[in-house]
Amino acid sequence: MVLEGVARTALLGIEMGMTLVLITVGLTLIFGMMDVINFAHGSLYMLGAYFGLAIVSVTGNWWAALLLAPLLVGLLGGMIEYFSIRPLYGRNPLYHILLTFGFAIMLHGLVTEIWGGQVQNIATPAVLEGSVDLVLFSYPLFRLFLLGVSVVVTLALWIAIRRSDFGIVMRASAHDSEMVGALGTDVNRVFTAVFILGAVLAGLAGVLLGTARAVDPGMAASVIIQAFAIVVIGGMGSYRGAVVGAFIVGMLNAFGPMFAPEFTDALLYLLMAAVLLVKPAGLFGNPEAA
Amino acid sequence: MSVKDVLGRHFSAHRQTDVLSGRVRLGLVVAGVIAVLFAPFAQMVHPFWMDLVTHMFIFALFALSLDFVFGYAGLLSFGHAAMFGAGGYAAALLIQEVTASALLVLPAAVIVGALVAALIGWLSVSARGIYFAMLTLAFAQLFYTIAFNDIPAMLLGVESVTNGDNGLVGITSLTLFGMDTGSLMSYYYLSLGILAGMLTLVTRLANSPFGRVLQAIRENEDRVAFIGYNVDRYKVVAFTISGGMAGLAGGLWVPVNSTATTSMLHWTTSGELIVMTLLGGMGTLWGPIAGAFLVVFLEDTLSSIGNWEIYLGIVYIVIVIFAPRGLSGLFQTVRANPNPKVLLGKVRSALATYRKKVFV
Repeated sequence: MVLEGVARTALLGIEMGMTLVLITVGLTLIFGMMDVINFAHGSLYMLGAYFGLAIVSVTGNWWAALLLAPLLVGLLGGMIEYFSIRPLYGRNPLYHILLTFGFAIMLHGLVTEIWGGQVQNIATPAVLEGSVDLVLFSYPLFRLFLLGVSVVVTLALWIAIRRSDFGIVMRASAHDSEMVGALGTDVNRVFTAVFILGAVLAGLAGVLLGTARAVDPGMAASVIIQAFAIVVIGGMGSYRGAVVGAFIVGMLNAFGPMFAPEFTDALLYLLMAAVLLVKPAGLFGNPEAA
Repeated sequence: MSVKDVLGRHFSAHRQTDVLSGRVRLGLVVAGVIAVLFAPFAQMVHPFWMDLVTHMFIFALFALSLDFVFGYAGLLSFGHAAMFGAGGYAAALLIQEVTASALLVLPAAVIVGALVAALIGWLSVSARGIYFAMLTLAFAQLFYTIAFNDIPAMLLGVESVTNGDNGLVGITSLTLFGMDTGSLMSYYYLSLGILAGMLTLVTRLANSPFGRVLQAIRENEDRVAFIGYNVDRYKVVAFTISGGMAGLAGGLWVPVNSTATTSMLHWTTSGELIVMTLLGGMGTLWGPIAGAFLVVFLEDTLSSIGNWEIYLGIVYIVIVIFAPRGLSGLFQTVRANPNPKVLLGKVRSALATYRKKVFV
């Protein structure tokens, strides 16, 4: 059944894309506002998964993990921003590479030390086990839940960025942080808040994907490079770009293995390079910045 | 621009007439002599040290290649792993299929590295800053997936070329003038000699009119273009030279490990290289060499304590916050203020600045 296969793969692509949005949003907003290339962002996602794993093994309650793990990651992200990235503002953004690379290595080491290097998995809560019959095919219930949560969070965030006061300050800071500072807003606080927001979302993605797929120390390095590709394709600093870019990459990840498994990754990087060559600012980025 | 700035630039331009000052050169010569004398000493005490220092030499060469484009021309390459890996795979295939003669294998690694760099550079140089970094990253990852999925084998219709995820294993050592360089000591001297030669070459290049143009491009490429230089062509040439050196480093690396693996091409290798360069102090040539030494050394020693990544990460974080210009900056501060009291004051003021920046 061709139709069945295509429909199933399309749903998988949407699911992958929406979860990638959660991971990428923080990265692109942080880059757009502070010019920080955050290599530790993938590690925050990884920490979300491991915190989730630990909380489930201690409390036995998956919902507690879903709630607490992202908050813990947010707290940690806030501390990283406050104590190490903040002193670097005003210096060449290059040094953020060294700094965040240091965090990525350190967190990789810590996680391996504490939880070991083997592949683990967060147990799916009983309520969300089983599959749902979607006429053409059946799909795991948890995957649908994952998709639902991601869509709701993405939409809520979109509205918040468009409509709320904080969203306005955020967008203004991304455009011209000096002017926003001159008008009396503490830009540093906005930066910290955005960093925490990005970390929480990455942590949330970590718990969700750690349950749907696997938890291992390599997950940070493999996701961060995809996230960079998405940020570049969508346009650095653009929320809409992150959503569209993640959607494209999700579809590529889903359909690629069907047609040309060996070329799926190559296509991703070719797409990334092509966007940079033809439209350096990305699909939705600010061309002035390019 | 204030008068003071103009004067400052004028004077600093006079001070930095040469890329490596006389004193630094003397220091490098002394370091070279120590390195030459170190091998027999290590042979007696602990031969494994030679292996470690050989690794340092090879990564120093790799870091030097990045500093030439990054520190001098201001091109932040996030794709140097592509050239390193390409040189490495070229060397591995040559040794396996054709010859192990260093006089053929190493130049081939240089040529392959330079060709890859010329291609990537030609496509990427018109992008600036972070966009250049991202383009080089994309191309390098493309090379990684090509090797990982062994796409050359698929295209050529043969069983294996890069041997995919497993990489090429069982690579024998190089031969030089009919001699085997398999022993620790001979490979040590081979790498040391190549590093010294390349450092001399890069210093010459950096001090040549060509190097001056690169520095000018780093400072302000629009002005250089207005004067009439073809900025993009200079960048491509610099990138190609750098790629040749990275390829050479890859070609030297493969026989030491007797494998060529996809990890050589992975983006983390490029990232680690940038870390070495920044840690040592970019644009100083000797700084990135020192950075490479430190990273290789720490990775090795810390792994005997426990999980080295934790400590290495902390070292990076502390250095980037408190020693912005890396090891070379630290060294210059210490040399300029030999008085321990003054140095202590510097440490205090650094901490105070940190406090001020964090708790505003």
